Amino acid sequence: MSFLQIRALRKDYGIVTAVRDVNLTVERGEFMTFLGPSGSGKSTTLYILAGFENPTAGDILLDGESLISTPSHKRNIGMVFQRYTLFPHLSVGENIAFPLKVRRLPKAEIDAKVKKMLKLVRLEGFEDRKPAQMSGGQQQRVALARALAYDPPVLLMDEPLSALDKKLREEIQHEIRRIHQETEVTILYVTHDQEEALRLSDRIAVFSRGVIDQIGTGPELYANPATRFVAEFVGDSDFVDCRILSAQNGRADISIGSSLTIRGVPMHGGGAAGGMAALMLRPERLSLARGSVGEGTANLAATVTDIAFLGSNIHVAAAAETGEALSVRLPFGHEAASSLARGDMVSLGFDPASAHVFSA
Amino acid sequence: MLLNFDRLGGWKWILLGITGLTSAFLILPIVFIAALSFGSSQWLIFPPPGWTLKWYAMFFADPRWLEAAGTSFYIAAIVTVLSVLIGLVASFGLVHGRFIGKEGLRALFLTPMILPVVVLAVALYAFFLRIGLNGTVTGFVIAHLVVALPFSILSITNALEGFDKSIEDAAVLCGASPLEAKLRITLPSISHGLFSAAVFSFLTSWDEVVLAIFMASPTLQTLPVKIWATLRQDLTPVIAAASTLLIVVTIALMLLVALLRKGLKS
Ligand SMILES: Nc1ncnc2c1ncn2[C@@H]1O[C@H](COP(=O)(O)OP(=O)(O)OP(=O)(O)O)[C@@H](O)[C@H]1O
Ligand SMILES: [Mg+2]
Repeated sequence: MSFLQIRALRKDYGIVTAVRDVNLTVERGEFMTFLGPSGSGKSTTLYILAGFENPTAGDILLDGESLISTPSHKRNIGMVFQRYTLFPHLSVGENIAFPLKVRRLPKAEIDAKVKKMLKLVRLEGFEDRKPAQMSGGQQQRVALARALAYDPPVLLMDEPLSALDKKLREEIQHEIRRIHQETEVTILYVTHDQEEALRLSDRIAVFSRGVIDQIGTGPELYANPATRFVAEFVGDSDFVDCRILSAQNGRADISIGSSLTIRGVPMHGGGAAGGMAALMLRPERLSLARGSVGEGTANLAATVTDIAFLGSNIHVAAAAETGEALSVRLPFGHEAASSLARGDMVSLGFDPASAHVFSA
Repeated sequence: MLLNFDRLGGWKWILLGITGLTSAFLILPIVFIAALSFGSSQWLIFPPPGWTLKWYAMFFADPRWLEAAGTSFYIAAIVTVLSVLIGLVASFGLVHGRFIGKEGLRALFLTPMILPVVVLAVALYAFFLRIGLNGTVTGFVIAHLVVALPFSILSITNALEGFDKSIEDAAVLCGASPLEAKLRITLPSISHGLFSAAVFSFLTSWDEVVLAIFMASPTLQTLPVKIWATLRQDLTPVIAAASTLLIVVTIALMLLVALLRKGLKS
């Protein structure tokens, strides 16, 4: 049986439905990230897990037992918040000791544990500092140490790094990964930053308007997005309007504009022949050649609108014949790109099997 | 800053002048009464012909004055404790509660601040007459509590609003019961608000005279009432001494608040 199960979870605030129908199972020791735009219900789901909110419907099982009727302080769950939540009047050491004192552990044991936790988050020697004397990144590390001090089965993190600048954020992401590996604690992590989600997680649950659109590893979501929303949210993507000519076995033949037909594109969301759909392409999977290529191949005719050199790769913006704005990413040193100029006609080729069709 | 004092030129002196006049207007009466309390003239002549501590000696020798001061202190102390306790509980409800009519209730709690005190006094007097609370410590305490509570609620709700509720939530997840989290984490974090609430509640009761006159009886008087009553009989400089003592306590408490604020910031 799975370690943590969230079943048909729903939360209404009056007429607002914050969480509509969330189903999720998490294995012991897994790093699961909730990724989604603002207002999609990530925090609400986490708060229900923490016991700060009661669900309108649904259940949460930890090790097979329902958590819903257990009050927050008896759930034994750890949490790191978006805002700094160290107890301002207590020192770093006392902050970490707090959950252990509440549990009435013997003093020697508490002292040893505080030392161990400070070592875990690499803040040895900071025991006697007050929170106000520490940087945001250090405070979040102490918060992490405090949340892990009592060996919780599950650690919740609600955008713990969103108040930090990019460099510090990346540094602490590495720390979190290391700590996850060292402690083997099960982590549920909320973020709306896809890079953060991809860097940290074993699996990602993509939230959209109160439901999970798709759950999978980063590469799975990237290579096989189940919905247009997931495709847009994980990685960069180009979309071209198309019409479905025929559909069977999850593959579709489509037409773009009046002349182009592409066969055998993986299709998601079920669509009938004759319906409108969107073809999704990844910018780095497009090949670029000058001029136009013959009709009938998987090639889109486009006009270059902008070229940007971004170090290891070159970003070409182009307008498709049918009007859509496309972006293409080429490796540095790409032959055709070196002499490319705005207004040039190019053809963008792709492998139909690596593209996706989402019915409208 | 929009108005830079150093760049105001000639205006600077005008502003300084106005500030000086306003301060003088506010402070001179106090200086005046303090000077008279040390003056040797029986007739409160200003400037005093000589200096003496006689009036203070008379104040401390007269059990009626001491009793009034004691009563004032006793009532103010009870009001302080109750005002902070009730204010704390009310503030938790007003800041962290989720219920309809919260804003309305908050406004209601503050109405004693804008209500004319004499209206309140007459109303309480009429009501206490029926239930026999006039001239009792309980009556005094209730009356002063009504005017002290708004200050207490204002200070504590302010402090609570400046305190991130997530910190209390974190304590609860750490395993502390909601009550324990409030006592061990939230209260210490808003202690400055509790302290302000206590001082303002104390002072509100300490120098309150209108309600006190209505509540007082010949045997139960606070210091302001005693000053008031004595003033109507004869104009002895002991009144100036009593007033000065009243003010000294007030100023000492205000200074304490200011010092603690400064200490908190640094
Ligand atoms: N206490 C509340 N009362 C009313 N509506 C709420 C409450 N809490 C959340 N909501 C609503 O529920 C929806 C989901 O909120 P939630 O905080 O879970 O989003 P989120 O995915 O965490 O977003 P963000 O990335 O902005 O933190 C939002 O539309 C929000 O306005
Ligand atoms: Mg959130």
